[in-house]
Order: sequence, then C-alpha cells, then structure tokens
Amino acid sequence: MVQDTSAYDTIAERPLPKWLTDQRDGLNTYQPVRMEMKEDRSLNVSFAITGAIILIVIAFLTVHLLRKKKKNTT
Amino acid sequence: MKSFHLKILTLAAFLSLACTTKVSEWVLLNTVPGQYTLVYFHGTQLSEAIMKQNASISDNIKPANIEFRSVERKDIKEPYFGLYYGNRFFARYNNPGELSTLTTSPLRKKIASEIMSGKLCVLLYLTTGNETKDENGRHVIQNALSESPFRDVITVVELKRSDPGEAHFVSMLLNVEDDLQSIAGPMLFGIFGRFKALEPLLGKGISEENISLMIDFLTADCSCLIKDNLPGTDILFTNNWDNPATAMVNSILDENPSLQHF
Repeated sequence: MVQDTSAYDTIAERPLPKWLTDQRDGLNTYQPVRMEMKEDRSLNVSFAITGAIILIVIAFLTVHLLRKKKKNTT
Repeated sequence: MKSFHLKILTLAAFLSLACTTKVSEWVLLNTVPGQYTLVYFHGTQLSEAIMKQNASISDNIKPANIEFRSVERKDIKEPYFGLYYGNRFFARYNNPGELSTLTTSPLRKKIASEIMSGKLCVLLYLTTGNETKDENGRHVIQNALSESPFRDVITVVELKRSDPGEAHFVSMLLNVEDDLQSIAGPMLFGIFGRFKALEPLLGKGISEENISLMIDFLTADCSCLIKDNLPGTDILFTNNWDNPATAMVNSILDENPSLQHF
C-alpha cells in the first residue's frame, strides 16, 4: 500500500492516517449515487423524429401515387 | 436445471455472508500477509562457509512471510543483509547474529495468540520511556476502551521503543510509515488480521474519538472498497494462521444489533 505520509512542519500538523479519515468521513463504504436533474429534451426529439417520418412517408406516397397515375394515363 | 438453481442460490448466500463479515475477521481469514525479502548483498563470490551460513538462515526464516535472496554487486566492499517489505527498505544488518530473532519474538507470539483466540484486535502502545508523555496516552486509551462495548475483545499491550528483545518488531513498526523513526512521541498501533499493523495514532491523534474510529473501522462490514485497498503493513512473523477461533465480535454484535454499522 502506498504510504500516507506527507510533508508537515510540526507533529500537531501531521495528517491523520488515511484509513482513519476515510472511516470518519464514511468513505470506506460505497456512497449512494447522487441524483441530479438534467434537462429533458426527449419530448422535443420525439416530435421532431415523428414529424420527419410523417414528411418522408407523405413524400414517398406522393411520388408513388404520381408515378402510378402517370403510368395509368399513358 | 434444479441443481443449477441450487448452485446459484448457494453462491448468492455465500456472497451475502461475505459482505457481512467484519473487516478484522475477513482480513484474518482471507488475506495473505505481505512478503518480506532478506537480501544478502556481496561483492565477491560466496565461499563454502558463507553459502552454508546463508542456507541455514534461509531455512530458519522459511516458515515466516519472507524469502531469502543473494545479490552480487561489484561495488559492495563489506557484505550485509538488507530487509525489504515489497520494494521498501526496512533495515540493514551487518552481522548474521543480528538475524536470530528476526521472524519471531515473545511479544509477537503473544499478539498472534490473542488474534487467533478470536479477539478483534490488539492495540499496541509503543512507549518512549518518558513517563509523562506515555502516561497521557495510556490514560486516553483506558478511557476510550472503558466506554467501548468492544472492550472485552480488544487486548492492549505495551512495548518500550528501546526494548532490546523486541528490536526487530519495533523497527518494523517504525517502518509502517517512512517518518515514524524521526518522531519521538508514543504511538498507538492497531494490529489485526495476520499481523497487519495500521498506520499509527500519535501525538494528539491518540484521542478517544480516533480510538473509537479505529474500532469502528475493524468492526465495520468488510466493503469491497476496504478489500481492494487494505491499509497497514504486515509484520514479519512465523505463524500458522489456519483455523482461528470464531471472532468474538460477532456475538457482541448479535446481542446488540444497534452496534452494527457499515
């Protein structure tokens, strides 16, 4: 294990062992995951994708129907 | 398929048990003590007598957590022995006679027997010989233990820094951190597992609060965070660590569930 000792001027300033400070600060156990609020853009993305799909389908059907109509008239 | 489910269930039960084992017990049952190396440094080819002497030293120390090696280097004028823990240099010995009690000593035997009897840990109070300084720390330790529910499963031993019969033990303790040899005050080491010495409390650090935190550390459930990065230094010692007595701390915690902590 890497030793804890770091520079200090007097014995009173000598840092406490890491195992002790970790125990004191509760760092020897897994900390619960901190929940953070994030901006939710999923609804906007969903609308955009739906709109894009609708436009693509309409464009595809329009081209398809126009071609069919043209074929029938000839 | 049924046997497969049974295996999964057994494994899950085992894992859940492992996570509730206390740090002190887990370390005693599962860890292998860190290895020391005794190196014989020499500049010329070994004579028959020296080879015999080194073979005898190697045999004597074999049961402990140490291995013996010889290293030939042209720049060495006088041969000597160097003691290493991992890659940390601990001590130099010019005379093979100095190695006679390297791997065992009366106090180390006593501490090991206390740990093997199921005690939580041994608190080793390394005194300086200055009664005023030593007495302050002694008083704090007694107060801290008298208030601890775990007082009956903790043994306190004292060791004088200048004790000639325990010189190797003192030297190893003072090598737990690289500045300890230059600090003159008394120190309190927590010893547990297979003779693992925690980085000590010293000076104002020997307080009731910190002793209580040390006990908390040893009685906590052994989390993977502790397992992956165990603090402390293993002390060189000859011992068979198989079949220790049941950890006494478990009965205290079973009788007082409010003392359980994680």
